[in-house]
Amino acid sequence: MSNTETGTETEAETERQTSDSLITTDVETGSNGRATASERTAVAARDVDVYYGDEQAIDGVSMEIPEKRVVALIGPSGCGKSTFLRCINRMNDMIDVCRVEGDIEFGGKNVYDGDVDPVALRRKIGMVFQEPNPFPKSIRDNVAYGLKIQKFDGDVDARVEESLKSAALWDEVNDKLDSSGLDLSGGQQQRLCIARAIAPDPEVILMDEPTSALDPIAASKIEDLIDDLAEEYTVIIVTHNMQQAARISDRTAVFLTGGQLVEYDDTTTIFEDPEHDRVEDYITGKFG
Amino acid sequence: MPRENYQRRLDALRADVVAMSDLVRERYDAAVEAAATGDETLARAVIEGDEAVNERYLALEDECVELHALQQPVASDLRLVTASFKIITDLERVGDLATNLAAYGTDDAGLHPAIAFRRLAGAAGEMVADAMAAYEAGDTDACRRIDARDDDLDERCRRASEAVVRNLLEADRARSDENRTATNNADDLATALDEVSSALLAVRDIERVGDHAVNIAARTVYMVDNDDELIY
Repeated sequence: MSNTETGTETEAETERQTSDSLITTDVETGSNGRATASERTAVAARDVDVYYGDEQAIDGVSMEIPEKRVVALIGPSGCGKSTFLRCINRMNDMIDVCRVEGDIEFGGKNVYDGDVDPVALRRKIGMVFQEPNPFPKSIRDNVAYGLKIQKFDGDVDARVEESLKSAALWDEVNDKLDSSGLDLSGGQQQRLCIARAIAPDPEVILMDEPTSALDPIAASKIEDLIDDLAEEYTVIIVTHNMQQAARISDRTAVFLTGGQLVEYDDTTTIFEDPEHDRVEDYITGKFG
Repeated sequence: MPRENYQRRLDALRADVVAMSDLVRERYDAAVEAAATGDETLARAVIEGDEAVNERYLALEDECVELHALQQPVASDLRLVTASFKIITDLERVGDLATNLAAYGTDDAGLHPAIAFRRLAGAAGEMVADAMAAYEAGDTDACRRIDARDDDLDERCRRASEAVVRNLLEADRARSDENRTATNNADDLATALDEVSSALLAVRDIERVGDHAVNIAARTVYMVDNDDELIY
């Protein structure tokens, strides 16, 4: 499985929009980092198993991701966190040998139900990848790409501007919207990709190590942006940088070897007083 | 184990904080002896020796800051570094209070006889030693016992202060009854007030040493259990 595809139609599909009215449900689940009575659940995974052929990559993961919060998925390489992330908008459908069992509920439906259109799903659950991957098009066309595909009948230029502002890029590119997206710096390209992801107005944004290819300054801008995005969107981010998870997320889920979700709680609890010794050992660097 | 150097630094931090407490306790015991006996040479040694405590404190403060900046400790490691950072401040303050105590007993008579100075100061010193033993062992039960002992120390300090003041009043009344000259009376009173002031300040400082022991215990409970029940 690769998470660094660049400029493919498949990725573009994840960033399109539909006018589907996807309903979020009120869920009261109490403590331990799950949605509380005052929160609504954006995505709920229930007993999710994922297999690549005979090999199990995710083992019985259940978690509820609250709406308009930042949830970080951390864990050692090969623990299944990216696999789980890509299950949420069915990106793993593209892998022939991948089989997903269990439910992932979004908008009141299991996204793996037979009547769910994965392309429509990906319009509501956008994705940002590890490597910035703007299309070889102008900045304007990059952002407007999903809107054109969905035949958006509103003011495209206004939506482009709004998206670039939301991605904290407008001030840097408003006088060169017709320049190629590829001419931007790495950090700007990643923010362009975020603008492209939010232009279709998704509800959830999946981010798979979005700053790992960026320098610290560019990464810090993305981190600030993620904080702002959480006012409008639910953000689920995979990161190998534990300090980044600590800085930007409200909740942290720790996956360990065997594809198990070992602990999921408020980020402060995970980084100050985790419940499980294995999590403690992982985040303090004694294991992993 | 990954991050072995980092783990070694954490182990060294814990050991160095304990070593600092040994140094402080040594100074404190010497200060108590100086105050009890009025040994000015010993008192000077304690006062001059405070520089070594301060240097140890600053070195450990630097180590805690560097661990935070370079290693970004989390979970139990974070609590160890944070608790240690706070505990060395308490130890440094105990060192300062030791210099105060040493300075109070500046003549051969030592401190005011109305207070059981050695026992009172010894109780506070034992609390610091026990708090540091709890820190070293991660013994939260011992920490809670130290917190309880502080109530007893506070009460003993209160009674000692009362005894000193009562003693002053009774001595003043006795002097009046003897019909001594006004000049002699004033000289005696000034001397008595000096003794009383030193005694009351010593009692106050002992009580504060007990408070620092409780602080150390409280930070240890936080360090071990992430529990702030004893803090404040």
